[in-house]
Amino acid sequence: MSLVIEVPEVLDHKGFEVLIRDLNRVTRGDVRRVVFNAKHVRWTSPYGMIGLLAAGRVARERTGAAPSIEAPDNRDVRSYWERMDFWHVAPEVYDLEPVPTRAHGTSDALLEITPIRSHHDVHAVVERVRERSAAILLNKLHYPRPSVIQFSVLLSEVCQNIIEHAEADGWVCAQTYNYRERLGRDVVMLAVMDVGIGFEGSLATEHSRRHGERWSAGMALERALLHGESRYRDPGRGQGLQAIRRQVDRWDGELAIRSGDAMIASPTQEWGDLAHMQTGLEIFPGAQILVVMPARPEND
Amino acid sequence: MPTEERPSPMPDIAVASLYQRNLVTRHTGRAVRLSIEGLVSELGATSLTVLDFGDVAVIDFSCADEVVAKLVLRAVDDGAAESQHFFVFRGVAQHHVDPMDCALRRRGLAAAAQGPEGEPFLIGEVDPAAYRLWQAVCQAGHASPDDLATEVGMDPQDCGRLLDRMCARRLLRRDGRAYHSLFYTFAQAERGGNGRGATDSGASGRADTSGRE
Repeated sequence: MSLVIEVPEVLDHKGFEVLIRDLNRVTRGDVRRVVFNAKHVRWTSPYGMIGLLAAGRVARERTGAAPSIEAPDNRDVRSYWERMDFWHVAPEVYDLEPVPTRAHGTSDALLEITPIRSHHDVHAVVERVRERSAAILLNKLHYPRPSVIQFSVLLSEVCQNIIEHAEADGWVCAQTYNYRERLGRDVVMLAVMDVGIGFEGSLATEHSRRHGERWSAGMALERALLHGESRYRDPGRGQGLQAIRRQVDRWDGELAIRSGDAMIASPTQEWGDLAHMQTGLEIFPGAQILVVMPARPEND
Repeated sequence: MPTEERPSPMPDIAVASLYQRNLVTRHTGRAVRLSIEGLVSELGATSLTVLDFGDVAVIDFSCADEVVAKLVLRAVDDGAAESQHFFVFRGVAQHHVDPMDCALRRRGLAAAAQGPEGEPFLIGEVDPAAYRLWQAVCQAGHASPDDLATEVGMDPQDCGRLLDRMCARRLLRRDGRAYHSLFYTFAQAERGGNGRGATDSGASGRADTSGRE
């Protein structure tokens, strides 16, 4: 049988939770094919958009068949997906016929959806965002000049998390938004996802025995993000995530990492909607990272 | 690594420019480090390698660990009594410092660096007394513990111990009774013709750091 999954109208980190709740109705053997119906999507964040790729990849693994997807009816959303190269990357996950052509010229995206498969991709991403990030961070977010390089370092470290720990490919993308309702200022949102072994799997060999039955996805996230632990005994490992956390904190931003059935957020801000720790979420493979960097107030 | 009062041989020197705009990813860092280690292995038992960061726009934390921290770690951990390898990081700008400092601190290490204008400083884990002493040596070029003790207002014996500790951490070089800054050593070695590329051919020694395999 085929299963139609309705993609939430607002496809952000909360919409992603709804999406994977429905996806988890698909278990091996009972569903032959999944159709993601995105016709009613009205708004998408970078996290939601690559979340749709991640969900499609999982559907494909569970059914053995590439899922299909119905494009959004909303013209703005469709145009945004085109500009973010969604349709360019989607054929790796979805059965698309015909594959929509790239209609846009120059993109206004900070970073279009980019697959991360090797260190070459990380180099390419760091090189590609240099000019765009300078324009956005300095002019829109009013960050000081060193932030351009600090953003490149952050980008490199979050992408490397996939290569070094996921044992699977992943995606990254970033875009600027006006967070009018919540903050009244622009923000940069950066999302990185994979559907690999996740933090619990990555750290298990080295740390699970020590924690016994208390070992969980939430604890693995805590050990990695708050204590700088990694799957390696080498003390030089595990510093990347801690460095990202410090940097996001200096920018008064938010960092959230979801893995397995847990999501940790640190730092968090009053204007945000991220809880420090959520457990008992829908189980989803790999790691999903969200970074929100707000503009500095004009009078700052 | 114990230091002794006997004269120490002048080190071979090499200058390696890191021909990489983006020193990012652990993979790239590993490739860069291996090529630098190859360069060092061609030098004598005592060597001083200057790594020039002038062309490096971005260095991330993973790459800093692979290149900076692991080179220093191996130089410090090298147990062979007859070999001493030193590193100086040149052209280190403010945006390089955070990843390099963090990578060194995680391993309890420190390294001698020079800013874009040539100003000497230490990065990594160093206590304030050791830092003051190191600065005094840099200012003097080379000095005895007694002179330095007076200069920084420290007990001569404590001063000697701290200087020996900094030699073991490859932040200073000892030659007989005198302690030399690595910058002074470099200038002296260049004058004495100990530089591989620097004096043999008039060009800097180059590590093949095209780390994007």
